[in-house]
Amino acid sequence: MIEHSKGNDHELWTKFLHGNDQVLSLIYLRYVNALYDYGSKITPDHSLVKDCIQDVFCTIIRNRQSLSPTDNIQLYLFKALKRQLVREIQKSLKYREIDPDNSGRFEISFLQSFDHTEFELSDEQKKALISAIESLTARQKEAIYLRFTRGMDYKEIAVILNLNYQSARALIHRAISKLREILAGKTNYFSQILLCIFRKTGKGVLQQ
Amino acid sequence: MDKYTKYTTEDFLADDSFIQWLIDPTEEQDNYWNAFLQQHPEKKHAIDEAKIVFGMFQHERERLSLDETYDIWNNILKTLHNPATSRWLNILKYAAILLVVFLAGGISYYLYESREQTHFDLASVPVTTSSEAKIILSDGSEISLEKKESEISYNSSGNQLIVNNDTIRQNQVTGREVMNKVIIPYGKKSMIQLSDGTLVWLNAGSQLIYPSTFQRKKREVVLIGEAYFDVAKNPSKPFIVRTADMHVKVLGTRFDVSAYPEDPVVETILEEGSVALEVVSKKFAHSGEEVILKPNQKISLNKEDGVANIKTVDVSMYTSWKDGILKTDREDLVRVIKKVERYYNIQIEMKDPLAGGYLISGKLDLKGSPEEVLNIIKLTVPIDWTKKSNGDFVIVRK
Repeated sequence: MIEHSKGNDHELWTKFLHGNDQVLSLIYLRYVNALYDYGSKITPDHSLVKDCIQDVFCTIIRNRQSLSPTDNIQLYLFKALKRQLVREIQKSLKYREIDPDNSGRFEISFLQSFDHTEFELSDEQKKALISAIESLTARQKEAIYLRFTRGMDYKEIAVILNLNYQSARALIHRAISKLREILAGKTNYFSQILLCIFRKTGKGVLQQ
Repeated sequence: MDKYTKYTTEDFLADDSFIQWLIDPTEEQDNYWNAFLQQHPEKKHAIDEAKIVFGMFQHERERLSLDETYDIWNNILKTLHNPATSRWLNILKYAAILLVVFLAGGISYYLYESREQTHFDLASVPVTTSSEAKIILSDGSEISLEKKESEISYNSSGNQLIVNNDTIRQNQVTGREVMNKVIIPYGKKSMIQLSDGTLVWLNAGSQLIYPSTFQRKKREVVLIGEAYFDVAKNPSKPFIVRTADMHVKVLGTRFDVSAYPEDPVVETILEEGSVALEVVSKKFAHSGEEVILKPNQKISLNKEDGVANIKTVDVSMYTSWKDGILKTDREDLVRVIKKVERYYNIQIEMKDPLAGGYLISGKLDLKGSPEEVLNIIKLTVPIDWTKKSNGDFVIVRK
């Protein structure tokens, strides 16, 4: 993971395993919003996401004696949340089979998130953006979400998607190539849209 | 730098430090990539394309409100109440710990994390009951502020601060902001000069988290409680005050923010300049909207009914606390008493809830003792007060 300092993770986790109760609430506060955002991409059912986050933490406390050390708490929690969500969704769809490793249900709800923000996009611009993203498979979307939104590295993405390192790289590489094909010839059009997004999120990376 | 000269769009997006720059740009990284582009203008197309692909996946993050965050945690505790699985667990201890963490730094960390823009090291935030005024430096060391009114000032490079005439040095990590935190308990207040020259008066029972130097494109601080800001002008680096319910964004101006977790109302009062407010908490009607305040305007967000209200006010009413004066204009006695409690760190019990509805107007000088202040209030509204053996005050209706 790029953004969080892992050295600190190892220390926090070890303290928790050795019976330090304070650190669990610190771990909870540090990751709960990242987990909530990730879960909300897997299912639009927000209360299910909240329940599953709760279950993940309860399980950790119950199994404290038998947990192994980790230097990457976020990865551990993301993996646990995904497993829990897939299990719950399966339960609710008793008669339908879902392969837990094939996260066919992963949808990044872009349409919804645009409605909630103040991006000043025309309907046409929104449509172009969404159709470009929708051209990706659910697995590609998940991989790219983990990479570009959560800043994970390939090793971490491979763990969450149950892939080997090379396949994770290839998956993302193919997704990006596909997006580039769509962008080809329309770069100016898209940069106009994205300038607007960056302005809103306060990231100046598109400043020329 | 050489390896990047052969990079394609895909290669840039596969590079961890390139992604880190896009996710969380620091000035150092900006300089690096700008220099690279100047030397290799032929790479501009690939980098721009990489930025566009990256930008397609930047969207509003889902986040929990503070209430939801706390509810889930409470449920975690409840589930564990099952004795079969929690023989080692002391529920009350857990509850108390979270409460303290929330009060002592949880909220502030949460505010930062939710935007993922922090490098504030949580492990360095000691759990504290905030009964002592202090500064917590980025390495976790604490400087205690013994005076009733402390003055803190940072030099422009942020590696040296002066606390009530004592000079303290702290190590700077180049290119990264290191977070400092000031905790002021009830009964005390403090004035802080930040490294950019901005002055902050921190009221009793408040906390401010800020970087010792502002390395980013925005100057961001987190506030719990109340503070008056006199922001140094810098049009290229907006100054943002984050609180649980709203963010206040300015370029250079004077204003007051009151956001005590225990108060039913969150307020921002603008004295000069202009500020843009973003209501972040989902429980308010204006959630997600940006509101512009004009000088002498006050916005109040009512946490109970979610209603936001803007009106023109006499600003000195809201900012006089920094000079030790409490001004009120037709304000409920119960709110005035709350401010007096915070100012002196005392408990005042209202025997008759109806008395809390008395409206008070005028000026209270808080330089004297709490007894003197209560005597002045007694002249205005029909109440009387007594002092209990434990030092608490009791107000009764006459």
